[in-house]
Amino acid sequence: MTGVREEQLTVLDGTVTFSVAIVGEGPALMYLHPAGGLEFDSFIEDLATRYTVYAPRFPGTDPNAPYEIHKLPTLLDALLAYEELVRALGITRPVLVGQSFGGMLAAELAALFPGVPSAVVLLDPIGLWREDLPIANWTTLPMEELAALLFHDLDCEGARAMTELPDDPDAVADIVANLTWALGCTAKFVWPIPDTGLVRRLHRIVAPTLIVWGEQDRLIPVGYADEFSSRIRRSRVLIVPDCGHIPQVERPDVVIPQVGAFLSEVATQV
Amino acid sequence: MKISLFSQAAYRQLPGDFEQRHRSCVSTPYSLTSPEHVYDSYRDYLDELMHAARMGFDGLSVTEHGQSSYDMVPNPNLIASALAYATEAEGLEVAIYPLGRSLGKTREPLRVAEEYAMIDVISGGRLVAGFPIGLSYDASMNNGVPPIDMRRQFDENLSLIVRAWTDPDPFPWNGTYSKYQAVNIWPRPLQQPRPAVFMPGSGTPRTMRFTLEQDFGFNYFGWFGQRVTGQRVFGRFWELAESLGFEANPYRAGFMQTIAVAETDAKARRDYAPHLEYFFRKGLGSIPAEYMDLPGATDINGVRALVKDPGDLGIFATLKSATFDDLVEYGSVVIGSPETVRDTLVEFCRENRVGNILAMLGFGSLPRHLVEQNITLFATEVAPALRGIWADSGFEHHWWPERLGGRPRHQPLDRGSTVA
Repeated sequence: MTGVREEQLTVLDGTVTFSVAIVGEGPALMYLHPAGGLEFDSFIEDLATRYTVYAPRFPGTDPNAPYEIHKLPTLLDALLAYEELVRALGITRPVLVGQSFGGMLAAELAALFPGVPSAVVLLDPIGLWREDLPIANWTTLPMEELAALLFHDLDCEGARAMTELPDDPDAVADIVANLTWALGCTAKFVWPIPDTGLVRRLHRIVAPTLIVWGEQDRLIPVGYADEFSSRIRRSRVLIVPDCGHIPQVERPDVVIPQVGAFLSEVATQV
Repeated sequence: MKISLFSQAAYRQLPGDFEQRHRSCVSTPYSLTSPEHVYDSYRDYLDELMHAARMGFDGLSVTEHGQSSYDMVPNPNLIASALAYATEAEGLEVAIYPLGRSLGKTREPLRVAEEYAMIDVISGGRLVAGFPIGLSYDASMNNGVPPIDMRRQFDENLSLIVRAWTDPDPFPWNGTYSKYQAVNIWPRPLQQPRPAVFMPGSGTPRTMRFTLEQDFGFNYFGWFGQRVTGQRVFGRFWELAESLGFEANPYRAGFMQTIAVAETDAKARRDYAPHLEYFFRKGLGSIPAEYMDLPGATDINGVRALVKDPGDLGIFATLKSATFDDLVEYGSVVIGSPETVRDTLVEFCRENRVGNILAMLGFGSLPRHLVEQNITLFATEVAPALRGIWADSGFEHHWWPERLGGRPRHQPLDRGSTVA
């Protein structure tokens, strides 16, 4: 993706450094990536045509600074770090968009600091737990099985782009190491069950919220969409048909226009 | 040379197609078992360990595996405790050697310090304390430790345990993974200032370096094929020791090997082949590879190195379908007549400067009478040839209890503290 610049910002009294990818122009939007780390896709590309997209790499998932994760003992430390990052970037009331693990982070931030986001988009977020709606522990799966759980159609363009590996064995080793470590870093606060008590905090979210879910999500079943929406007052749900866990990659044809429409609508309300 | 029996309590009646249908840990259906067979496994396991003690083995080693069908021992210290009393009562001079409680797994480190202290007291000072980081699946899937915290939790727990053993005064512990108002365990270990410690490693330089710097013994397990991994790992260990200025004392190094001895090579094959295939296919071979190394458990640089050169994993990836001939060819087992086994082990120990053998003589479905045959033949026909290998080397064994002929030395300890 072109036009991306990287910035390093320090938070938590100088102890933790964020690498933030910044792209586009317009009002501030913070994109919180999933467990496997930050990847650019057509969804972010589209957002960047209307927003300045700030995409912080979760501490530890920047291959140049893998040990930042060890500086965050608890989820609260991580959330405080993100709130400080918003201020360090000098942005106010960003739109928060988060996918999967990043969706949980977005929901947590919006609940802990209700005044921070102007709007929230959650894409198949983790963070709630019902024993009758089992969630596979994605960090314990071999890569092939994980890929099969992430997509409804493994042959779709987005899936092929995400699972393609280069020929150079050194490049493969880097990709595997970076992905594995990113999964380890992000698993730290949601191990072994991705329930850190968010269910008791969701009611604090006041920003208008769009909850997007792939109807055939085999990692986090679509039943969780209502679990989120019933606890967030100004929320609505978009169920994406023929779609797995990563709707913005598997069905950009639906997600890009629908998210765009939601954000335009709430922008006029502010 | 110190020679220990290495023993696990496997479930021995798993169905023939087990490895096609099940994993050997975490999710293995307990409905595959029957109570009498579970009881028999345990009874035989303890009897076999006692048989080895009576046959003159130097140590009795047991391991920790939660929620596993190949070693039904979630806490080896319960076994070690029973052995400590039984051997003390019979006057058997043998080390009690749990390999042992995993400190990457435990969320109650002080209990581990107390258990080991109790075993040392019960045995009259015969404990050798093993401290593994632990298996990834066991620490994280069975006990809820985030993989990325496992190594760091090990480090903190070890510091706490060593201090709990050695600090004469009560102290507060404000750790990341555990907090205690006042640590003041009763009893403390009989061996002063502390028992010898061994740590197993898979071959990563970081763990090797740690054992050297802490003056711990280093154990390596040869299941992945000693012929393809042994020289790689021990070569690396001794090179590292030399580069850091540590003497190449062979008693620092321990080696676990599956061994099968019968009167002749042909009889060994007849007696043991199906049970070896059972052990490797339905045990280690049925642990999914990803469970051994969950994301975050191995440092990012370690993952990169392992992807580029998976040599340390030997034949692990193919154990599920390994044939008896594969296992022999790669050295996952050393098998044959006493002479064959003797020659192989003497050569290996000499070449790799191994001063402690952990002989796994019961494995998989091997019935008790064959385990006892293996123990007896090993003790009488093989062990004598190994025992004196390092006798004239000029080195002393600093990692063995004084009561059992060791010469413990205790460098100033890196005693843990949570005070910055």
